[in-house]
Amino acid sequence: MTKYVLKRLLSAILTLVIVLTVVFVLVRQMPIEGYFDNYDKLDENIIQAKLDKMGLNDPMPVQLLHFFKNLLKGDLGTSARYSVDAPITGIIAQKAPVSALLGIISMILAMALGLPLGAAMARSKSKFWDKFGTAFIVFVNAVPAAVYYIYLQSYGAKALGVPMLFNRSEWQTWILPIFSMALGNIAYYAMWLRRYMVDELNKDYVKLARAKGVENKKITMRHVFRNAFVPMVQYIPTSLMYTICGSIYIESLYSVPGMGGLLVDVINRQDNPMVQAIVMIYSCIGIIGLLLGDLLMTAIDPRITFAKKEGAR
Amino acid sequence: MGLFRNLKAAPVEKRMSAELEKKIEAGKKNPFGFAPYNPDAAEKTGYSNYSYWGSTFRVFFKNKLAVTLLIVLVLLMAFTFIQPVLPKQHKANLIINHPITGMQVSNVPPALTTVKAKAPKGTELIVKEYGDEQWIAVGNVLSDVKAREIFTVIEYGKDYCKVDYNGMTGYVKNDFTTQLKLPADPYKVPYESRSGFKTKLYTSPVDFSNDGDDLFVEKKYLSISGDTAVTTEECELRILPDDAPFLFGTNNLGQDLWALVWSGTRTSLFIGFVVALIEAIIGIVVGVLWGYVRKLDRLLTEIYNVVNNIPTTIVLILIAYILRPGVGTLIFAMSLTGWVGMARFIRNQIIIIRDRDYNLASRCLGTGTLRIIYRNLLPYLVSVITLRMSLAVPGAIGNEVFITYIGLGLPVSTPSLGNLINIGRKLISTSHSYQLVFPTIVLSIITISFYIIGNAFADAADPKNHL
Repeated sequence: MTKYVLKRLLSAILTLVIVLTVVFVLVRQMPIEGYFDNYDKLDENIIQAKLDKMGLNDPMPVQLLHFFKNLLKGDLGTSARYSVDAPITGIIAQKAPVSALLGIISMILAMALGLPLGAAMARSKSKFWDKFGTAFIVFVNAVPAAVYYIYLQSYGAKALGVPMLFNRSEWQTWILPIFSMALGNIAYYAMWLRRYMVDELNKDYVKLARAKGVENKKITMRHVFRNAFVPMVQYIPTSLMYTICGSIYIESLYSVPGMGGLLVDVINRQDNPMVQAIVMIYSCIGIIGLLLGDLLMTAIDPRITFAKKEGAR
Repeated sequence: MGLFRNLKAAPVEKRMSAELEKKIEAGKKNPFGFAPYNPDAAEKTGYSNYSYWGSTFRVFFKNKLAVTLLIVLVLLMAFTFIQPVLPKQHKANLIINHPITGMQVSNVPPALTTVKAKAPKGTELIVKEYGDEQWIAVGNVLSDVKAREIFTVIEYGKDYCKVDYNGMTGYVKNDFTTQLKLPADPYKVPYESRSGFKTKLYTSPVDFSNDGDDLFVEKKYLSISGDTAVTTEECELRILPDDAPFLFGTNNLGQDLWALVWSGTRTSLFIGFVVALIEAIIGIVVGVLWGYVRKLDRLLTEIYNVVNNIPTTIVLILIAYILRPGVGTLIFAMSLTGWVGMARFIRNQIIIIRDRDYNLASRCLGTGTLRIIYRNLLPYLVSVITLRMSLAVPGAIGNEVFITYIGLGLPVSTPSLGNLINIGRKLISTSHSYQLVFPTIVLSIITISFYIIGNAFADAADPKNHL
């Protein structure tokens, strides 16, 4: 077990290094305008001097080494256009808590709605809840989120009588962004829980329990739901990742002062160091999410073993 | 019919069974004689005319919803190609100028014809300055009435009131938007009144204008005298002299939304199909190598771990940010990560079926590797591949919408559903919201159809459902 965890951790770190290197090299291919606030007005000499100062004229391996050294110190560089010469870590430290808070609340909401929906669907096969849930899942999965978010924002704001844009001090404005973020995950949880529960319901121990005369409700809640939930655990960190990715769109739509909105902002302003930093952070979150999913899974499900079957595959 | 057959069949059966019994008796005496023909035993050979594709399609066609959507989707896709060659179509990016006024025909609401109103014989109209040999611009607005200006009502009507205003006699709208101030008994005329908002004085109790703009009518129906004209017979008042209508309306620039939507659908479907195709090709090749060639397993698994760890959205954003926006960039960015899922699935399937007995036998008999892969392994994967491809298309379309929203999508000169939705998004709470609704409807039909058809087909292709 310890060996597996260590190995998994090591491979995650290796992946992280590879991904950061690739992102770094790719962003270096961008035009150098993205490092200056007022590129058009600058003299060629000043540009070169500034590039030298930032170390952008060094050979790539030197730059890369420099970057990783700074990264270990917790320094992501400074913003070029978004907020000139401000340290990126500072900007992100301001924005990240908002994103995290919204993401976590929406995750809780998604579980609170998605899991009961999935369970209801599994219990009422081809009755109302199953049909309703299936229609909901098909809609959410098939129609691009970018489209129904727009309608949700406009009509939701009208129906609830709340402002369209997010405002930290007004709790009413939190409803729509959180609900929009949760929608995808509600469908995701409902879909998988239903699938696992239906699988589980067909197993022998359920038949035995039924033959013994155990109440239907007790079977589904105490036995089936528990067993079906175990494989779901793996999805939780992944769906946290999904929430964050979805939030790029939602945060910018509701102008939430978070990381996702920031990414759209800096892309539109072509601020190279900021884009690089945020893309790297998102990749890290993705890698950590998968890692946590795997580790959680191994911690929770005792049926998973780590004895490697040499040559058996 | 049934009765008839039974009557006739009975003696034959009797005769048969008599013969059979005789032969069975004979068989008991001589076990090495010929066995008698027994129709029941003949049924028990285990022969079945099961065919994989036959059953797959049979199950699929039982799913009414999926079949309906398949028909809708096929018609829709065919229509995107037929649309440009239909008569009376505008070019997608053409900015349409009014043939007479020369102004852009922007934000024309969707309609089935360009005819805005029909004027009966004897309608008084006001002639405007625009016109050519055949057409002339008309309206029936006598004057603008400012808010809260006093006029005299001479005849009270439910929808229009006949009023006297600055010496002119005409009609003003009497509805909740104008908020006419009326006495307790409005039928007891005349009395002084005013409107709470700006309104217009019309020559007749019908609005013969395009929300205050001019309409066009053929000159031959009018007898013109100076500034005014009277219709000599019933005639059509059009927004444009041309009778090709803007079915979906026009946008802010004066481009035909109908043409834009279909052109955009073509672009989006093209991106979707190419991405699905590339995904399938790379996914199949890599997946087969990964599953079949043992030496490559380690390497490819490591590569998979790296690629799978990065959120797809982030790759998409990064590539679109670095490269110039365009169809090629989008396809490249989406294909870069899309194949991973397909490859892993195929690898897992191939590992499961690779060492089954029939493949072992095939290998022992000297069948080449390529032939084994092509004939023995791939047919198992067809359903999975088609499912993933059919889900890749709506996925790609959705990604395109998302990337366009971020500002890294296609330039506006290349219409796509993402573009149109992104432009329409800002108009959602205005009266021009049709510019969002039409692209959304087409997009939803396409994505939902692909999703449902893909899933239904995957269910049908699963032999477990073939009973």
